[in-house]
Parts: sequence; structure tokens; C-alpha cells
Amino acid sequence: MNHYETLIVIKPTLTEEEIKAQIERAKSIVTEQNGEILATDDMGMRKLAYPIEKQERGYYSVIYFTATGEAVHELERQMRYNEDVLRFMTVKYSSKKEIAQFEKMLAKAKKTESSQSAEESPAQEQSEKEEA
Amino acid sequence: MAERRKFKKRYCRYCEQKVEFIDYKDLNMLKYSLSERYKIMPRRLTGNCKKHQEMVTTAIKRARQTALIPYIVDRKRVVENPFELIK
Repeated sequence: MNHYETLIVIKPTLTEEEIKAQIERAKSIVTEQNGEILATDDMGMRKLAYPIEKQERGYYSVIYFTATGEAVHELERQMRYNEDVLRFMTVKYSSKKEIAQFEKMLAKAKKTESSQSAEESPAQEQSEKEEA
Repeated sequence: MAERRKFKKRYCRYCEQKVEFIDYKDLNMLKYSLSERYKIMPRRLTGNCKKHQEMVTTAIKRARQTALIPYIVDRKRVVENPFELIK
């Protein structure tokens, strides 16, 4: 099992629920391959530095997880098919220093995650729209 | 020779802050080693040590791939957004 971090840029034209569904989908791919999700860090909607597929903005989300190499392979394969994902990048953290940094980022992500979820969770329980 | 030098020779900023690893998502870290046109600044101008220059280089390249920072800034873009991308 290795430490990985995947950054996904999702199309801005999707609704909020659809964006969340996309992130969930990416997570489920990892868990299906016996990976373990450690944390997610939503960087939110950002302006892209240059247009990708004629889009000026994108929704950034980072997933931290431990998994085998095959899981990453599968995740990237699925991302390539997915037209709602503008960009994705997986970074492996292997050496001792890198793992120390990984833990640091994990702690940071968890902190923001917990503060966000405390605010959001009671409010939003809407049914997800079906994808055509 | 000393007159020709545009930048003052400095010590490595990353060594000063004792940075172990440079994250490509952390744009504030990368900003020291980027020119106005988002080129990677050479070591002779920034004074970075070799270890940190290598780290910064990979981080900048990763940030470019994920559209966090631009590859190029041409004339059009200079007018549009001079420095707003990096907070």
C-alpha cells in the first residue's frame, strides 16, 4: 500500500450536487480496489490559469488515500473516460520526508474538513439529480 | 562584473525557512521562484540551493499541469491579469 494524493478538476458547468457526486464516484473507485480514503480537501471553484476545454473556471478537489498501484491505474482509467473531469493528477509519496509532508497535509485537510462538515451537513440533504 | 549583476545574491529562501518538501498546491511557496511571466527563475538569480531548486522545479511543473499557474503569459494575458492569479 502506498500513499497517494489525487487532484481532480471538475467542470464548472455542473450543479453542486453533480460535483459532489463526481467526487464520491472517484472515492468509490478507490475503495472498490481495497484502497482507504484518508481525507478530502475541497479547494472550491477557482479560476484556471489557462482555458481547458473552453472552460475558464474549475472545481478543485484533492483526495488523499492509501492504495495499491492497480487502484490508481483504475482510477486514472476511469477519469480519462469521464468527460466532466477537466484535469486529474496523482502524486505518489514514497520517501520518508515525503510521507512526513503527506501526514502534515492530511492533518490540515482533516481540520478544514471537520469545520466545513459541521456547518454543511444539517442543511443539505437533497436528492441527487439523475444523470442523463 | 559586479555591475552587470541585476539581482543581489541571496541565500536560499527555502533553506532559511527549513522547508522539507514543496507542495505544488501551495502557490505562496512557488512564488519566490517565478518571474513576472511565470517562468522558473534560475538559481543564479534567486540564490536557491540545488536541492530546493529541484523541488521547486517539479512543483512548478505540476502546478502548471493542473492549471494552477499558467505555462506562458503572452501580451493578451499580461493586460488581463497581471498578478491576480497568485494571491
